[in-house]
Amino acid sequence: MSGAEAVAQPSPFAKLPAAAAIVALAGLVDAAYLTVKHYTEEPVPCSLIEGCEMVLTSSYAEFAGVPVAALGAAAYFAAFSLALLAAFGNRVMWTLFGAQAVIMAVVTVWLLYLQAAVIGAFCQFCLISAVTSFTLLILYLVSRLARLK
Amino acid sequence: MKNEPKSNSVPLAIIVAVLIVVVLGAYWFYNSSKPTSGRANRAANASNSAKTPQPVTTAPLGAQPPNMLGSPNAAVTVEEFADFQCAACASIHQTMKEVQSTYGPRIRFIFRNYPLSIPAHSKAYDAAVAVEAAGLQDRNKFWAMQDQLFTNQLNWTENPNYRQIWADYAQKIGLDVERFQSDIAGRSAKERVDLDLHRGRGLAVDSTPTVFVNGRPVPFKEINTASMRRIIDAEIQNSSARSQSSTVAANSSANTSATAANASGNNK
Repeated sequence: MSGAEAVAQPSPFAKLPAAAAIVALAGLVDAAYLTVKHYTEEPVPCSLIEGCEMVLTSSYAEFAGVPVAALGAAAYFAAFSLALLAAFGNRVMWTLFGAQAVIMAVVTVWLLYLQAAVIGAFCQFCLISAVTSFTLLILYLVSRLARLK
Repeated sequence: MKNEPKSNSVPLAIIVAVLIVVVLGAYWFYNSSKPTSGRANRAANASNSAKTPQPVTTAPLGAQPPNMLGSPNAAVTVEEFADFQCAACASIHQTMKEVQSTYGPRIRFIFRNYPLSIPAHSKAYDAAVAVEAAGLQDRNKFWAMQDQLFTNQLNWTENPNYRQIWADYAQKIGLDVERFQSDIAGRSAKERVDLDLHRGRGLAVDSTPTVFVNGRPVPFKEINTASMRRIIDAEIQNSSARSQSSTVAANSSANTSATAANASGNNK
């Protein structure tokens, strides 16, 4: 393989921001769903595990009067926007996305701790959000590692 | 990532489109969910269930362990949802105490906090937290504080210094007042109130006091000592009849097995 050909080949990591945008969109839909359920006071389906309602109606479900799910939806929307702008070539946005992914992952760890140790119950839609949040961080870290190589 | 930045107009258009879709989608979902759920519908369910009381089988557990008197293994469970600023709750407090003392370990009596979110009950949630805070020091103190707040309801509900009055009650029943105050400000007591509230909502409780006997709501006019005794006695009888019939069935099954074993032995 010649050097010129190697440069012409797109990096396999070039699509990571686009993948991150899709994952953030999934997180946004999940968080928006929980936000609506919070306001309608409807029980959330809890098919895989028990305790969804305990989590979603605990005093930790709101922060300063705002549903945590709504804060999550805002964070996912911001992450989606940054990842999409990065997918269209804006590197600064990708760096900002990385910072946000770290913050979201830290908050996710705290929320998981609350579910496991304080509330004593898990909510499956919160766990989906945890997976999307960690996936965003992993995608960002993979792109950073790829650049180091 | 590509090195050459492209125009931001396309991603910005997508971002705006996604925002509009999410907001409209959430709005539509909210509106389509609202008429078939929420408090209004649960209130309607409660009104229907009052006509033909049915046991409610699925609901969140509420605070664990619950504020309970009697025996955890009793066949009859009396569960009261009450608000400390509710005059009717204070008026049935004595009835509930009589029920507890009459039946003792033959029933499981559970008290649930259900502070109503209405302006006239602006202190109800804090009162529930205060009672739970007392319980955090000693489960018996929960009942002592609950008694203080119901018995002296008129003394604190209209008093702007109600928190000081609660602190005085705390001292009177032998609580560590400093810890009591910090527990009121803390998370644990609020968490227990929230869990009880959620259980009440799951059971379609739309007013206080609401009393369930083995999951069946008791109409308010029947929350008096005579009616409560009649309802509880009937439940105790039902449960003993059920346990007798299951004992008979078990004995009958054992006899049949023994007869079969003997027959089998005789055949050998």
